[in-house]
Amino acid sequence: MTTNRISHKWGMVVDVDRCTGCQSCVVACQAENNIPINTEDVFRQRRAIQWIHVERYWEGEFPDVRARFIPVFCQHCENAPCEPVCPVYATYHNNQGMNVQVYNRCVGTRYCANNCTYNVRFFNYWEPVWPESLRNQLNPDVSMRSRGIMEKCSFNVQRLQKAQRVVEGQQGERLTDEKLKEGNYLPACVQACPTNALVFGDFLDPDSQVSHLKEEHLDGHGRGYKMLEHVGTEPNVIYLKKVDIHAKEVVKGHA
Amino acid sequence: MGITRRQFLKWSGVSAVGAVAFNGCLIPEQELQIESPVFLPEDLVNGIDNWYATLCRMDPEGCGIIIRVVEGRAKKVEGNPDYPINQGKHHARSEAGLQALYHPDRISEPLAREGDAHVPISWDEARRRIVDRMAGMSDRSKFLLVTQPLRGHQALLASEFVKAYGGRSMAYETLEQVTLRRSILEVFGQERLPVFDIQACKYLLSFGADFLSTWVSPVKYSRGYGELRQGSSRRGLHVQVDPRFSMTAANADEWVPVKPGGEGVLAMSMAYVIMRDGLGDQAAADALTGGGGHEALSAFSPDSQQVRDATGVEAGRIKELAHAFADPRNRPVMAIGGGSAGAHTSGLFNLRAIYSLNVLVGSVNTPGGIQFNPPPPLPELSTTDVMAMGVPASYREWKEMDRPQVLMIRGVNPVHGLPADANFRAAVEGAEFVVAFSSFMDETTAMADLVLPEHTYLEDWGDDVPDPGPGYQVIGFQQPVVSPFHAGTRGFADELMALGRALGLDLDSRLGLANVTDPTMEDLLKSGAEKLWEVDRGSVRASSFDGFWNGVLQRGGWWDTGTVDNSGIRNISPLDTAWPDISISDAPGGRAFNLVPFVSNSIGDGHLAHLPWLQATPDPITTIVWHTWVEMNTRTAEEMGLSKGDMVVVTAEGNRTVEAPVYPHPAVPPDTVSMPIGQGHTAFGQYAEGVGVNTLSLLAGLTDSSTGALAWAATRVRVVKSNLSIDIPRFEGNQFAEEADEQAIIKITKPE
Repeated sequence: MTTNRISHKWGMVVDVDRCTGCQSCVVACQAENNIPINTEDVFRQRRAIQWIHVERYWEGEFPDVRARFIPVFCQHCENAPCEPVCPVYATYHNNQGMNVQVYNRCVGTRYCANNCTYNVRFFNYWEPVWPESLRNQLNPDVSMRSRGIMEKCSFNVQRLQKAQRVVEGQQGERLTDEKLKEGNYLPACVQACPTNALVFGDFLDPDSQVSHLKEEHLDGHGRGYKMLEHVGTEPNVIYLKKVDIHAKEVVKGHA
Repeated sequence: MGITRRQFLKWSGVSAVGAVAFNGCLIPEQELQIESPVFLPEDLVNGIDNWYATLCRMDPEGCGIIIRVVEGRAKKVEGNPDYPINQGKHHARSEAGLQALYHPDRISEPLAREGDAHVPISWDEARRRIVDRMAGMSDRSKFLLVTQPLRGHQALLASEFVKAYGGRSMAYETLEQVTLRRSILEVFGQERLPVFDIQACKYLLSFGADFLSTWVSPVKYSRGYGELRQGSSRRGLHVQVDPRFSMTAANADEWVPVKPGGEGVLAMSMAYVIMRDGLGDQAAADALTGGGGHEALSAFSPDSQQVRDATGVEAGRIKELAHAFADPRNRPVMAIGGGSAGAHTSGLFNLRAIYSLNVLVGSVNTPGGIQFNPPPPLPELSTTDVMAMGVPASYREWKEMDRPQVLMIRGVNPVHGLPADANFRAAVEGAEFVVAFSSFMDETTAMADLVLPEHTYLEDWGDDVPDPGPGYQVIGFQQPVVSPFHAGTRGFADELMALGRALGLDLDSRLGLANVTDPTMEDLLKSGAEKLWEVDRGSVRASSFDGFWNGVLQRGGWWDTGTVDNSGIRNISPLDTAWPDISISDAPGGRAFNLVPFVSNSIGDGHLAHLPWLQATPDPITTIVWHTWVEMNTRTAEEMGLSKGDMVVVTAEGNRTVEAPVYPHPAVPPDTVSMPIGQGHTAFGQYAEGVGVNTLSLLAGLTDSSTGALAWAATRVRVVKSNLSIDIPRFEGNQFAEEADEQAIIKITKPE
């Protein structure tokens, strides 16, 4: 946020073999990020907002049938298709490897959502409303998005900012993965995930858990892959393949 | 990954020692550089947030949580990384506790019935009316207290109150775990639920237990499950025997769609094969069959037509399962069962057969198998009376209960949850005086003469002895993390103690609080904590009681990892080798289907239907939100001319009907339909009312022949197409999606 003397590359490793589809991450995200209540009507209009959501894919027919779950959220692409199409620079890549959305620049063209490979950008079609008493729960660190604004997963940048202010501002040290944990920077979804399917960290820190997982899994010998990587978006999220005792090879899926 | 213990200690601030700020109002040293106008440093003044450890009461599991509090308002629920049950993790349901606290429809002051309406009254007046009624009762056994299953000091208090007054109490749980508890008692001799060590297990066979979603202790099990899958170099396997393709079944390596009710026969058949083929523990086999060996189980041979009819599973498949379960290379193995497997007229038979498989292969008191929980550290919390408060009454008990004259209901909604045949509504109507402690005007509360608004758990004191525990002694402490949001609410326990005094029950001295003036729940907890302090062992030890008390509140509880129960099974109880009575209720007309109701992953059995986050949380399998639906096999639906969203009339015995939309998917057995429970509220606040239908209203009220528990999976229904169709609200299709050529979204690989 405030300085560019350090650089991080925040990212996530998602172990699809651990994910059970339980939706803990989804509600944790809603709570942390002041996401408006998705009413029945909102779902019917296909305008629900879930920065992280669990996609379910069917495969086969009864009785040889499988349902597979995968949590999908902004992949914070290195080469993000959403960024160049924004006429007002509301979405850009910061020096920490994050794709960030600047709400008060956004004019609501929705070009970015149109261009997003992963369908993880959400548009506020309405002014968000909460009953007065429920507003007490809202997170004071996260700004409200008004009607006409695009929003998406931020890797809980508000938690990063807090952590940075403590570690770098106060202690003058580089924000390593170790320091970070002490300073509490984990996105809410990662903190909630009961099976530890989500692992978050700094890919530039060679000692971080994500770096270890990347090393172990991404160089052709492990389970790592990036979603739709042939498109060339270079995501900062690595998925680890689902293990299936019946697998022959890669299968196709559809929502 | 997660929050470390050290970090958590750094955060924890408790009321008694003053709040410790995690982050102050500081502005970092700036370098000379161009700032984005988005981050104007002078604007960045953070509030101070405090983190308090307490307990989640949204589910019976009882997770330890920490709450972020900013300016006196609770902002976020996180798992308590120290707490042995959930170790820093939590479920979606825990998160939504904040919405219960700040719910717009919370009852904020006591209400009394006047005609058809409820009007506000004062607490003094409310208590006076209760005392008038209760003091003057000629037959005090006609007083009935109905609560959710209680544990810890709340159970002690309620039990003493009822005993001192001379009344009765019953615990209510919608799909009560009566059969599970009885089977654990009969197979293992354990009154407490055991530890299922999923983490270290390498071959997990689950019959009907949706343990990753809602069954017993899902956060703990999910945590273990992640480790079973990828925690060590050898990936554990999971086989789910289930008539429904639940979220848990979807995660299994193998799903065995069994015929509803046939789970026990399948387990017996596996036991037969294991014994016949000389696998498993010979001594255990002899004990289980009274020396008869596999011959004693010959009725359950997988080759018999009767077994195939009851289970719908081929003989070869049963033999494969039996061999895999008994294969030493697969060890440690474990069989668990519950949910729909125990919800039949043969429920106890089923679960006994399933859990006995562990005995047969030596998976009891071993890592990766079934381990026992020691009794709570304070003897007064494990007396028969106190333990009884934690055991829900069976459906038969509800049906046959003596009608109360004065009924006090706390935090449960049996009018919605009990099938109509239990006549609970009539019992409420028939009672002379009904008091409801409740935060919301649900169906049961709406019938009360007096409504007493309770604090939510985030505003109140409490404790918990988790059942099942983690394998050692634990007492979790619940402290108020915010001051009461409404001035007119009170704690249930505090009010019960005050009532005891007003009735002259001598409750205080029964609870050992005679030397305290007007004691409250906090005093009762402190007196318990003082005894814990005196034992001087476990996770928190201190030189002074104050230090100890602050310590247990900071860490969310006390536990002693050294108190492991390694006793194992004392006496192996023999299997019931007679063929079970599997009855199914049926109805005429239309195409017949087995109905498998299930507990919702988000709103549970319906007690969380009032929370918008949970209503809006997609069901894992169908992604449906804000509704009740009928899951049907895609091909069956095609045959019936049904497509997604077509409304069908579902009819059960006794002409009970509900109408709901069909959601066809490929993973439903062709002769089965399944429906989530928990919706169809006529009262319960703006987010629950009018949403979906009450699936439980279809049930005919068959019970397990031994335990009297509701056989909620023993229903056959008839399904007829209606001429309506709706757009089912769901997440699926929220975004435009097309099949990706070549590149799958989810890539799969064979295990190494």
